Amino acid sequence: MNKEVRRIRSVKEINEKIKRGDAVVLTAEEMIKLAESSGVKAAAKEVDVVTTGTFGAMCSSGVFLNFGHSDPPIKMTKCWLNDVPVYKGLAAVDGYLGAAALSETRGFEYGGGHVIEDLVSGKEIELRAESYGTDCYPRRHVETTITIDDLNQAVLVNPRNCYQRYDAATNSSDRILYTYMGTLLPNYGNVTFTGAGQLNPLCKDWNYETIGIGTRIFLGGGVGYVIGEGTQHNPQSGFGTLMVRGDLKRMNSRYLRGASFYKYGVTLYVGIGIPIPIINERVAKTAALRDDQIIVEIRDYGVPSRPDRRPVIKRVTYADLRSGKVYINGREVPSSSLSSYKMAREIAEVLKKWILEGLFFLTEPVEPLPRKGRLKPLRVRRKEPTVRELMRREVVTAKPDEKVEEAARKLIVKGIDHLPVIAEDGKLVGIVTSWDLARAIAERRRILSEIMTRRVFTAREDETIDVVAWRMTQHNISGMPVVDEEKKVIGIITTNDISKRLVGGRSRL
Amino acid sequence: MRVRLIYSPDVVEKPILAEVISKTGLLINILEAKVNAQKGELVVSIPSSGEKLEEAIAIFRRAGVKVEEIKETLKIDREKCTSCGACISPCPTQALQLGSDWTLKYEEEKCVACGTCVNACPFGALTLLEGSEG
Repeated sequence: MNKEVRRIRSVKEINEKIKRGDAVVLTAEEMIKLAESSGVKAAAKEVDVVTTGTFGAMCSSGVFLNFGHSDPPIKMTKCWLNDVPVYKGLAAVDGYLGAAALSETRGFEYGGGHVIEDLVSGKEIELRAESYGTDCYPRRHVETTITIDDLNQAVLVNPRNCYQRYDAATNSSDRILYTYMGTLLPNYGNVTFTGAGQLNPLCKDWNYETIGIGTRIFLGGGVGYVIGEGTQHNPQSGFGTLMVRGDLKRMNSRYLRGASFYKYGVTLYVGIGIPIPIINERVAKTAALRDDQIIVEIRDYGVPSRPDRRPVIKRVTYADLRSGKVYINGREVPSSSLSSYKMAREIAEVLKKWILEGLFFLTEPVEPLPRKGRLKPLRVRRKEPTVRELMRREVVTAKPDEKVEEAARKLIVKGIDHLPVIAEDGKLVGIVTSWDLARAIAERRRILSEIMTRRVFTAREDETIDVVAWRMTQHNISGMPVVDEEKKVIGIITTNDISKRLVGGRSRL
Repeated sequence: MRVRLIYSPDVVEKPILAEVISKTGLLINILEAKVNAQKGELVVSIPSSGEKLEEAIAIFRRAGVKVEEIKETLKIDREKCTSCGACISPCPTQALQLGSDWTLKYEEEKCVACGTCVNACPFGALTLLEGSEG
């Protein structure tokens, strides 16, 4: 990166060509084709601007709103738009509506992203606000309807958009998972990925030579600006991000879509397009990067760790993922995107058209994006109780061919409710509860293997109690065997064990 | 072809499907079943056409089962759909794919009306049509 490369043209020169109407503008896909047929050198000489595009879920998005003052006025301390809470830790009638905020009445079905889309569409929105009342702001309650035209300002300010690339997702567990990466089928049943790859803005200026603070962009169908690196910007690993802003009043709901991820939450699909001025050959080279040159890691969401700790199952490229199938453990697995490549192409085309028609000029960044920096995790300094501390290590188990009566006797004698069933090799194959046994006796069943539950929910000893308790509540069960990596039972944990410790006081945990 | 079989209370307990399978030798696949003492409703896929298919349908009808062809299962709201692809890889039968222009395509014949895609769609663009819920 330090090596100087010869400048071919400046942004100023490009803008003069745009003004004259003779700038050469290609979409990133067209640039790839040109570089393939004529070589990067020739393409760099010929092309002034490469347009990019992406259209995907960008949860770190939101809008600053100024509602204007009512008479008498109110210092809004709590505020809702269509029952979605607006952040009110700002001045009296300023608020910030986040894309991921959930409706308090409709849950996962509707949220901040949907309100933003509805505002842009010009729909009427229910506004409700509360306050404690002051001498200067006596009103304590207001309820009305607004449209985007009633607002003084509606400014989209997204703290993190436009990931350079993003890890793909699969699921090794034996249960269907509903995640922010969509529906993940069990046993590596599918792979989902996101990002526009070869059309993705930050992929096309891989070294951040042209995109920086002040870069004018296509944002949600209107004009916006890059205002800095995004949160979680991680340039050294090739996961750069952008913070952007733009006037919501001039945007188009075709490129801003509220979305719901089943059993996960709500978000906003944002359309972004960034023009890449081909100022030198190095920029031309990255602008011509193809899907098959952009590496993506497939991570296992079946392991409930933080994102960068989820095991990498495979390294593939965007081309592999976009082909519709990848191979995991020698088996063909369907892959599909969560972000729309079709819309990304459309955005790159629209931006190209704007430039060719002289409606959009390029800007030189006021400051470049940071090229150094890594992602830090949240260190949890307060000690959290883990399964290891609360599990019981003496586990009463049974064999699959054991008689029902015998198993029932074990439960009574030991005063327990859960009986893990273990195969000859010591691996967990099932579980029987006192309820299962009661039913088995009523139905005159004889052998455990006939009645045991085979799909057993399990815990690992390094998991926190918080996570394990959530899993038990989620599946409406009262205990889980604790297993090691080989699926051998090393302990058991029950809601009883957890509640006993909690009664003893959280400080002791 | 996919058909909906409606059993009246008089015939609901008879093994009519088994009879059709054994007489025709067709590997009929049950996609959906709602059966109780009053009424039975099955959605099945009959992997055949022409005479053999007609024979199967005739046996059902003779036995007192109402046979309705299912033409449409899934509705895609094209205004809402962005062709993102979130529904594609979760589909167990690959009934949903992207076309060469990156637009979402749907193959009716492959759909088993399981509803996985309906939940997977972030935009609420997919709905199973009346009576075809899995």
